[in-house]
Amino acid sequence: MKFSRIGVPIAIAAVAAMAVTGCTTTGETPTQATGGTVTVAEVNELTSFNPNTPQGNLDMNAKLTGYTRSGFFYIDNKLNLVPDKSFGTIEKISDDPLTVKYTLAKTATWSDGTPVTADDMMLAWAVQSGYYNDSKTDADGNVTSGTTYFDYAGDTTGLGLTSLPVIGDNNMSMTLTYSEPYADWTLINPIDAPAHVVADKAGVALKDVLAAMTSMPRGDASKPAAPNKDLKAFADFWNTGFDATSLPTDKSLYLSSAGMVLDSWTPKQSITLVRNPDYKGDLKPKVDKIVIRFIGDAQAQVTALQNGEVDLINPQSSADTIKSLEALKNVTTLTGNQFSYDHLDISFNTKVFKDPNVRKAFLMTVPRQQILDAIVTPQNPDATLDDSQLFFPGTDAYDASVKVNGASVYDKVDIDGAKALLNGAKPEVRVLYNTKNPNRVASFQALQASAEKAGFKVVDGGAENWGSLLGSGTYDASIFGWISSGVGVAGVPQIFSTTGGGNYSGYSNPQVDQLAQKLQVTLDKKAQDDIQIQIDTMLFADGYGVPLFVAPGVMAHSNNVTGVVYYPGQAGIGWNYWEWAKK
Amino acid sequence: MSIINEGEPAPIMDDAEVRHITVGKSQGRLILDRFLRNWVALTSLGVFLAVIVLSVTSIGAFGIPGWWKWAYNDLGTGLLNGGAPTLSLIPTWLGGDGIHLGEHPFGQTLIGIDYFAMTMRGIQNSLIVMFIIGILVAVIGTVVGAVAGYYRGWVESVLMRFTDLVIVIPVIVLGAVVGKIASEHFKGLGVLGLSLVLGLFLWTGLARLVRGEFLTLREREYVDAARVSGARDARIMFRHILPNAVGVVIVSTTLIMAAAILLETGLSYLGFGIRSPDVSLGLIISQNQTAFSTRPYLFVWPGVFIVIIALTVNFIGDGLRDAFDPRQRKFVARRMKEQDAK
Amino acid sequence: MVTFITRRLIVSILLLLGAAFIMYQLTALAGDPLEEFYQSRLPNKAQLIAARTEALQLNVPAPLRFFLWLGGAAKCLIPFANSCDLGLTAQGQKVTDLLPMAMGSTLQLVTAATVLAIAIGITFGIVSALRQYTTFDFVMTFVSFLLYSLPSFWVGILLKEFIAIKFNDFLGDPQLGPIWIAVIAIVIGLLWVGLIGGEWRRRVSVFIVSALATAAVLVYFSITDWFLHPNIGPVFMLIMSAGIGLVLTAMLAGIRNRRVMLVAAIQVVITMICYFALQSLLDISSIYTLLILGLVTLVVGLVSGYLVGGQDRGLNMRVGALTALLSAALILVDRLMQSWPQFLGQSSINGRPIATVGSQTPGLTGDIWMHGLDSFTHLLLPTLTLMLIGFAGYTRFSRAGMLDVLNQDYIRTARAKGMPERVVIVRHAFRNSLIPIATIVASDFGALLGGAIITEQVFAFSGMGNLFQVGLRLPDPNPVMGYFVVVAVMVVVFNFIADMTYSALDPRVRTRG
Repeated sequence: MKFSRIGVPIAIAAVAAMAVTGCTTTGETPTQATGGTVTVAEVNELTSFNPNTPQGNLDMNAKLTGYTRSGFFYIDNKLNLVPDKSFGTIEKISDDPLTVKYTLAKTATWSDGTPVTADDMMLAWAVQSGYYNDSKTDADGNVTSGTTYFDYAGDTTGLGLTSLPVIGDNNMSMTLTYSEPYADWTLINPIDAPAHVVADKAGVALKDVLAAMTSMPRGDASKPAAPNKDLKAFADFWNTGFDATSLPTDKSLYLSSAGMVLDSWTPKQSITLVRNPDYKGDLKPKVDKIVIRFIGDAQAQVTALQNGEVDLINPQSSADTIKSLEALKNVTTLTGNQFSYDHLDISFNTKVFKDPNVRKAFLMTVPRQQILDAIVTPQNPDATLDDSQLFFPGTDAYDASVKVNGASVYDKVDIDGAKALLNGAKPEVRVLYNTKNPNRVASFQALQASAEKAGFKVVDGGAENWGSLLGSGTYDASIFGWISSGVGVAGVPQIFSTTGGGNYSGYSNPQVDQLAQKLQVTLDKKAQDDIQIQIDTMLFADGYGVPLFVAPGVMAHSNNVTGVVYYPGQAGIGWNYWEWAKK
Repeated sequence: MSIINEGEPAPIMDDAEVRHITVGKSQGRLILDRFLRNWVALTSLGVFLAVIVLSVTSIGAFGIPGWWKWAYNDLGTGLLNGGAPTLSLIPTWLGGDGIHLGEHPFGQTLIGIDYFAMTMRGIQNSLIVMFIIGILVAVIGTVVGAVAGYYRGWVESVLMRFTDLVIVIPVIVLGAVVGKIASEHFKGLGVLGLSLVLGLFLWTGLARLVRGEFLTLREREYVDAARVSGARDARIMFRHILPNAVGVVIVSTTLIMAAAILLETGLSYLGFGIRSPDVSLGLIISQNQTAFSTRPYLFVWPGVFIVIIALTVNFIGDGLRDAFDPRQRKFVARRMKEQDAK
Repeated sequence: MVTFITRRLIVSILLLLGAAFIMYQLTALAGDPLEEFYQSRLPNKAQLIAARTEALQLNVPAPLRFFLWLGGAAKCLIPFANSCDLGLTAQGQKVTDLLPMAMGSTLQLVTAATVLAIAIGITFGIVSALRQYTTFDFVMTFVSFLLYSLPSFWVGILLKEFIAIKFNDFLGDPQLGPIWIAVIAIVIGLLWVGLIGGEWRRRVSVFIVSALATAAVLVYFSITDWFLHPNIGPVFMLIMSAGIGLVLTAMLAGIRNRRVMLVAAIQVVITMICYFALQSLLDISSIYTLLILGLVTLVVGLVSGYLVGGQDRGLNMRVGALTALLSAALILVDRLMQSWPQFLGQSSINGRPIATVGSQTPGLTGDIWMHGLDSFTHLLLPTLTLMLIGFAGYTRFSRAGMLDVLNQDYIRTARAKGMPERVVIVRHAFRNSLIPIATIVASDFGALLGGAIITEQVFAFSGMGNLFQVGLRLPDPNPVMGYFVVVAVMVVVFNFIADMTYSALDPRVRTRG
């Protein structure tokens, strides 16, 4: 009895002591690295390591591949294609037929040590060409017959023209032959996910898949063949296998071939990239770590930068954002244009604008300078009117086009001229715009005030679901924005040719259709520009509409970080991450 | 004594006051007296009325123009002095510019709209939302609560289930979803739409309170007396019982009104309430929060007015509560008596 | 009682189903998830639309689609099957993958805010009631109404500007100017005067003593750079834990109760010993160590209370446990403070600790103390914003509740029996005034979760509110429903618990069942 009286407490104490000491940790010691950490704010979260599927085609996924995938070239802030020789070289072998050879460099390696080979290029080609697909789809996009292998979110027009590639140089090169000239061939970058990982994860042998690829004929939707099992499994993994909501345990899903490799991911909060130790290429990063934090709100991004929680931000531009950024100490603000522009388009589907004089009269009343002054000038004091439908200001082609395209007629508001053209008529014009976008609201208000002076009755057709109303014929004119990649000419037939998918205006000019067709098969940059200038001129002559302004953009960085350069395109602030250095 | 509060334990008052009552002050008169003695509530009422008068007369309402030179959607004559506010409250003898309003006392937005006019319009909208919600809540809540409490039965169960439903889905969630629906199908909730929708969900709390009052009051002798003398149900409910429950209705409606303005501004802040080009105090705060460090006047004024309106309404409600239901005053009444005895 | 509970359960389930159906239909009306594709210039637009239609089952009409969704959601009820299916987001992620994370951060936020609001709100409310119609009461009334009238989005932005950025700037050179010291000292002095009250002579002396003490402490802080190297230190540790023991004894047992006083004193001694002895253990502690230590503390408090004996052992044990836990908390605070300089020195913190976005610093390395500080600095502002509003409500309710109770006959009876005022307030009035607050806490919970939508937006906090809001904007129905399910279930459960508690506490309610 006595024993238990003392013994029980002692036993309890001993167990407790053991438990207490057993539950301790040594704690991680912070590692002091030399290159430092740069923290970047981004709006959206990562959802997939494959940005080329429909569901993975989001800006953050594409940006991550910018940090972790090398390519044959990158596009710099002046829209030049800069080749990356340490990854591979592109060589045009012949003009007719257009033949291009892609050769990988020895330094191109995945971060698991596997070299990048033509196998990987074959995967990319199979994805981007849609060569094997023999599916038919109905109006809703549902497959009715045949097979779609890779669900590619991009455009297969270019590589769709090529025949089966020729592999050579010890499986290190790929030669593509086009059946007809393709204007944007320089933008083809045939590299995607690591083929060995896709095969491994799909549970098929890579050599079987490659054999199937070389033996299968081009898919023909009118004669659908039975799907190839190996290729189907392979493609199915590519389609969905890279989607993730948190860091996968299997590192092979996020292999890197560039300077950074994904290290950790706190869902909804941040991802951390660290230096890729296996990277042997030229674009070696200077910093050790890049942290990307997901902050949706522009103002929260500014406050976070001010408070030192992030080093780099790329928020939605507004005069107030820029002003408050400029007021911050130790912060550098970079402003410039974005590859997107707001424009007023006339709808050719409705009665009001059948008469070209009414179109011109309406365009003459658009207070473009006032809109520019109200919206853009406070953000970019050097902004000028955008006088081209096809080129961005600041390029040589733009200057050449402006000289001849006749846009300057609409530079100044001409109420009297408009009245003369209208000849006493009082047309009613319904204008569609996005009521959620304050810039569009302001543009509309200014337009309304001005056009009514000339006798137009401007009806407010603004809607929040403006996107679904585009092309519906329920409005007479529309104010909205186009976002462009800034390079290539594929967008021109999309918007301006009669059957183009982005032609919401019902615009149809056989000459423009012809020129757009010709543009697509023109390889020479100069010749491309000439054709585009002709189209530009016709658009203004037909009263297609007027561009309002090029959207201003802003980036800002803490002065602790050097090497940040403004970038107008969708690759965003991280386009030259290897130049970043921490003070 | 039972005039003051049927059946409740009688408040302790000194003899003078009791005698005073017996001289014949009506209950309404007593309540008014008590309210008028509450200087906090009175001041609040004054400030609240002043805000209403300012917002209505300055930019006008219902198509009648006001004395202010700009309108909330008037692009004006361009930016003056970068849109900085011209209001000056520091007199010259203190080294300031003297007290004057100037051209744009609260400054201008980037495209030159007068910010004072916008703020006034925002106040008007918030007030409209507040009053419509108040009226809706008071009417629906009282009727449903009265019927549920008097007849019980299915009305009561429907009321209770509906109340539960509204508790399960937080009001701001409902408001946001409905606001989004409206913007999808009807070009955004107008001021009226927003207040109607919110009002239709907010009445349940009041209905429950009224039901509770009716549950106790319907068992009173005077109700039996009325019934025996042949009064119809509607008459009993609204002429006999309701006057005794009116305090609950008024107080709780005021407090809901104060909460409503915060709800409306919150929804507009999130972008699910009133939207551009119309103006709400919440909306202009959300539009101008980036301006906080550079042009704080765009951020401060709407917020200050939200606080003023909500605060004064809360105080008025509290004053009314004290006036209608002086039970909480008993404690001090006793203490005062003790002091007197010393 | 059993039938009462079953009936309530069945009603709750039906209610949830009804609300879910309504919510689902409303969300389906809230817009077309395919809208973003209509303005797309991509050549494979049709394919993108098909993929999303397939993933979100958009070709099924919404009233039927609800039952598909419900079928998936019903699987969540099967325990351990892990077959829960709340649908996919527009981006093809599983909602069930997103929810736990979001729930975690929101619950952290809402729980902290609720607990603090209740604790502080009730304290001030009750003191306010006891000092009815004093200046303190008026000031508290005004302050609570003011807080009640503040739009949370506005306050959030102000807090970011003034607490986060200005305080972080201040840490660059942590010297308080004489004006600041004077202002803070006067405010704190007035607060103490209000709390303690009494004759004017006593008020003046309370004011002078507390203001001077505050000023002295602030000067000390400034001189020693305390804000950069904060610590409680052995002397203050002794003073503070002795103070805790004294106050608890005075409140719960009366200062003359020697035995309880002895129990409290024992806790203070043990605390001081632990303060010195446990430092090296704390250095290597994990969260489990702390849990075990907390448990040990509780046991020590209870056991020592029991061993001291006397007439009311239960009272001894309560005072012992409370004193032990609160003093132990001081040791933890001190340990956290010791990590502060290291925390400030981290490259990812860079001397600016109070955060304005998110719930943690990415890539922060270190022990639990570092992560504890990191959570604290991130949660501080959103919690404050959420708390201010709840605090105002609880102050009002507890004040009114206390006044109601103080006017009851049994309080008069207790006083008439000659019971000391302390016993009347603590034993009789305080406990009974808490009963109505229990229900208010439950019904406020839904409102608080709703309020979190705005707070999360202001502080870029990725919790439930964010999930809802972003989902609704697109619109993306499944995350919105995921949010709804969690909120609705929590509200129903809380109300259920409140009803149970209420009927347990108040026998009058039980008969209704």
